[in-house]
Amino acid sequence: MFKWRLRAATIPVLLSVLLTGCPRTPQDVDSEFGRETGETDVFAEEGVSPGGSLDRFRRGQEGTYQDGADANQGPLRDVYFAYDSFDVSEQMRDQLRANADWLRNNANVRVELEGHCDERGTVEYNLALGAKRARATKEYLVALGISATRLTTISYGEELPVCYDANESCWSKNRRVHFVTRGE
Amino acid sequence: MMQARRFRARVAMAIAVALVGAGLVSEAAAQVRGTIFGPGVRQYPVAVAELKSLAPASGRSELATMFADIVSRDLELSGIFRVVPRSAHIEKADSSGITTGTINFGDWSVIGALALVKGSYHIEGDRVRVEARLFDVFQRRLLVGRNYHGKVANMRRMAHRFADEILAQLTGERGPFDSRIAFASTRAGRFKEIHVMSLDGGDVRQLTFNQTINLSPAWGPDGSLLFTSYQRGNPDLYRMDFQAGSVERVAFGPGLNLGGEYSPDGSRIAYSSEEHGNPDIVLAKPDGTPISRVTDSWAIDVSPSWSPDGKRLAFCSNRAGGPQIYIADLGSGRPQRVTFSGDYNTSPAWSPKGDLIAYVSRVGGRFHIFAVKADGSDARQITSGAGDNEDPSWSPDGRYLVFSSSRTGAKKLFVSDVTGGPAVQLTHGNGDDTSPAWSRWLD
Repeated sequence: MFKWRLRAATIPVLLSVLLTGCPRTPQDVDSEFGRETGETDVFAEEGVSPGGSLDRFRRGQEGTYQDGADANQGPLRDVYFAYDSFDVSEQMRDQLRANADWLRNNANVRVELEGHCDERGTVEYNLALGAKRARATKEYLVALGISATRLTTISYGEELPVCYDANESCWSKNRRVHFVTRGE
Repeated sequence: MMQARRFRARVAMAIAVALVGAGLVSEAAAQVRGTIFGPGVRQYPVAVAELKSLAPASGRSELATMFADIVSRDLELSGIFRVVPRSAHIEKADSSGITTGTINFGDWSVIGALALVKGSYHIEGDRVRVEARLFDVFQRRLLVGRNYHGKVANMRRMAHRFADEILAQLTGERGPFDSRIAFASTRAGRFKEIHVMSLDGGDVRQLTFNQTINLSPAWGPDGSLLFTSYQRGNPDLYRMDFQAGSVERVAFGPGLNLGGEYSPDGSRIAYSSEEHGNPDIVLAKPDGTPISRVTDSWAIDVSPSWSPDGKRLAFCSNRAGGPQIYIADLGSGRPQRVTFSGDYNTSPAWSPKGDLIAYVSRVGGRFHIFAVKADGSDARQITSGAGDNEDPSWSPDGRYLVFSSSRTGAKKLFVSDVTGGPAVQLTHGNGDDTSPAWSRWLD
C-alpha cells in the first residue's frame, strides 16, 4: 500500500522534471548588433545541394582540379564559355549533346546547372552572368528533348572557382556551367 | 606737430595691418570652405592634443589618446587636413587648459598649426563627460565647442561626431564620420560573411555566421541591413534587424535575389530577381511583397541604386551588348543610357546629394571607379594606378566613396574623396574585404 502511494506521487514529479528540463538563461542579444539568434542549421532547411560546388567548398574540397578540369565532374562534364558571354558556342554543343544522351539514359536523375564566371569583372554582374549561362545551358538541353522539370539553375558568379591563378588558362576553366546530379 | 603726424601715421599703419591681417584670415577660412573639391587647400594644418583628464586618479588614460587618435584620423581621412605630429607638440595637455585664456597659442603657431583641437574628459563609473574644443590658433578664439555625456563605451562615437562638427565649421558641410560601414569579408575564415565597422576600423563586428556566401549588404533608414545569402542554398535576400537581433528572409524566388537596396524613405526595396526567367530589376515592400517589375528585357539587369528623391533607379544592363549604366524613371518611360565610354560599366551608386552616379569601368583591362552626372555628362575617373577597384558606396554627405581595391594584393576597403585625391586604406589584416555599404549618420 505504502509503496504504491509513493510511486504514484513520484511519477508526476519525474514527469515534470523531464518535460521542463533544466532552466535556461535567456540568450544575450546585443541591442545594437544582433547576432543571428534563432537560425536553424543550413542542412536542415532546403539546403545546400549535396555534392555541388558550395557544398564541396564548405567541406574544404573546393578547387580540386586535375588534368585541366574540375576533378569532381561526374558523368556530365562541364561546358565552357567565352569571356563576358553566355552564348552556347559550337564547341559546347558536342558536350551538351553527350550530356543530353546520358540524361535520356538515366531518366530518374535531376540536374542542378551551376553557372560560374572567372574572377574578372564585378561580383554582382558576374552573378547575373553565371545565371544566364546556366539558363542558356538549360534551354539548349530542353531543346534537345530533356524535360525542363529535371533541370534547375543556380549561379555562383565568381565566388567558387576551380583554380585561383590570374591567367587565361585558369580563367577559361572557371567560365563554366557545372552539372550536379541529384536524386539518382 | 611732427610727433602728432607720426603718431597718426603709426595708427593708420596699425589699422592697415590689422585690416590686412583680418582679410588674410578670412581668406584662409574661405579657402577651406569653398575649395574642398579643388586642388590646393588639401593640407590645412591642424594639431590635435590628447584630452586632459579632469580626474587623473580614475585612470583610463588610454581614452585621452584614443579620442585624439580618432579625431586625427578622421581629419586626415577627409583629405582636407594635415595633422601635425603629436611628437612636435610643445604644450602638454595636463599642464594647460581648454579655454582661450589657459592655452599658450604661441606654442601651437610655432609648430605650424592653424587650428587646434583640445579637450578634457571626466569618468564616473561607466559614464564619461567630454568637453571638446576647436580653436583658431592665429585668432586665438574658439570656433567649435561641444560637451558630450554618455557611456564610456560610446566615446569613439563622440570623437567621430566632433570630427564631423569640425568639418561642418571649416567646410560648411557636416563630416561623414559618425557612421558605419557594412561589408563582406573572408577575414574570419574562407567564407564571405557580413561584418560592420566604425570609420576608425577599431570596432569590427561579424554579423553572419552561416559559413556560406554572404554578399551585397545595404542599409535601411532605420539601421536595418539587407543582404544576399546562400545559407539556405539559393541566393536569397535577407534583412537583419539590429534592435531585435533577428534575421528574416525577405525574398526567395528561385534564382537570384541580389543587390537589394532600400528606397531613401524606406518604403520600398529594389533588387535583381530571376522570377520572370531572367535577371530583372523588381520593386517590393520591405517584407518582400512584390510591387512591380521595373525592367523586362531579355538582357541582364542588375545592381539597382535609388536616386535621393526615390523616383528613379540607376542600374546595370547589357541590353546594348556589354554592361552599361542606365536610369529608369519609375513613373514612366524607357530606361535611359548614362554611360557611353568604355565597353564594361557596372555597379552604379547614386550619391545622396543626387548630383553624381559612381560606377565601375574597365579601362585597359583594369577596373576603376568613375563618377558621372545623372544626365551622362562629365564622366571622370576617381581611382588610378595598380589593382582593381570595385563596389563604390557613398558617404552620407556625398563627398567620399568607400570601395574595395586589390592594389595592395588582397582586397581591402579604401576611402577617396570624389575629386580623386589619394585613397586612404581603411581595413587591414586577413582575408578579402568587399562590397562595402556606407551607412547614414547614426543619429
